[in-house]
Amino acid sequence: MRARDNPFAVHRVLAIRYRLSGVTWEELLARLADLRFRAALVGPHGHGKTTLLEDLGERLGGHGFRVRPATLHEGDRRLGPQRDSALFRDPHPRDLLLVDGAEQLDRLAWWDLRRRSRAAAGLIVTSHRPGLLPTLHECRTTPELFEAIARELGGEEALQAATGLFARHQGNLRDALRELYDRYAGVAKP
Amino acid sequence: MNGDWITLETRDGSTAFEPGEEIEGTVSWQLAKVREIELRLIWFTAGKGEQDSRLVATVPFPNPGEHEVRRFRLRLPDGPFSFSGKLISLDWALEAVAGSRAERLPITLAPGRREIRLDGDAGPR
Repeated sequence: MRARDNPFAVHRVLAIRYRLSGVTWEELLARLADLRFRAALVGPHGHGKTTLLEDLGERLGGHGFRVRPATLHEGDRRLGPQRDSALFRDPHPRDLLLVDGAEQLDRLAWWDLRRRSRAAAGLIVTSHRPGLLPTLHECRTTPELFEAIARELGGEEALQAATGLFARHQGNLRDALRELYDRYAGVAKP
Repeated sequence: MNGDWITLETRDGSTAFEPGEEIEGTVSWQLAKVREIELRLIWFTAGKGEQDSRLVATVPFPNPGEHEVRRFRLRLPDGPFSFSGKLISLDWALEAVAGSRAERLPITLAPGRREIRLDGDAGPR
């Protein structure tokens, strides 16, 4: 199977957007407004925090905010010049700062980010742990959610291949879907 | 607007080319509020992991009218070749872009005008 034809190729997986459970978008946005647009999306690896942050940004961009995203990766203890520019260059009161992976920052960098973000309209972060900012939403996954996504991408036959992967990856959908990719590519043993 | 459209065609309808070959074709559009439109030559990867992409060339169409047909001609680079393996594919495409609207035409760039297969399947002949 060619990589582009793999039903679990990354461009297909990224087309699956966050599925809210237990709360509506209207309720989530109202709670965010109550928090003065300073809040955190919390959850372990592969539970949809980045996707939800992107989806929030898209919706809030339609409400007049100027969305300014930045992503921190494993080991990024400081913002660095590129992310600093992405967040703070030519600031505007309608700026909404979206910082993915904020738990990576060291204490001083986090404190500095919070201080400088006060001039912006909001700061929304993702984090593996609660406590950086008030929690807006805790991202969770379920076996049913994983099965629904696997079925959507790979059809009914994908369900059999998906058996056991949710538990094996402890609810990390990204890793479970990558293993499904490997199985379809024939590079991993079922 | 609902009546807006863009079409992208190569001469003779060819979609597979040799490295370094010249492509000719036309971009046609009906766009009510078009301010700029351009043709882009891109490659991108698909498969497992992060996606990568490159904008290789652009052909601007200055002063676009509401309804036009413009010719284009551009020379393809020598590579990278179109290929597909089990973990990654590299695809080429032409894109006609006007603001947020775009029309994409996938093309193959490889010796013999055939995508290189690395997945153990030579593909249809």
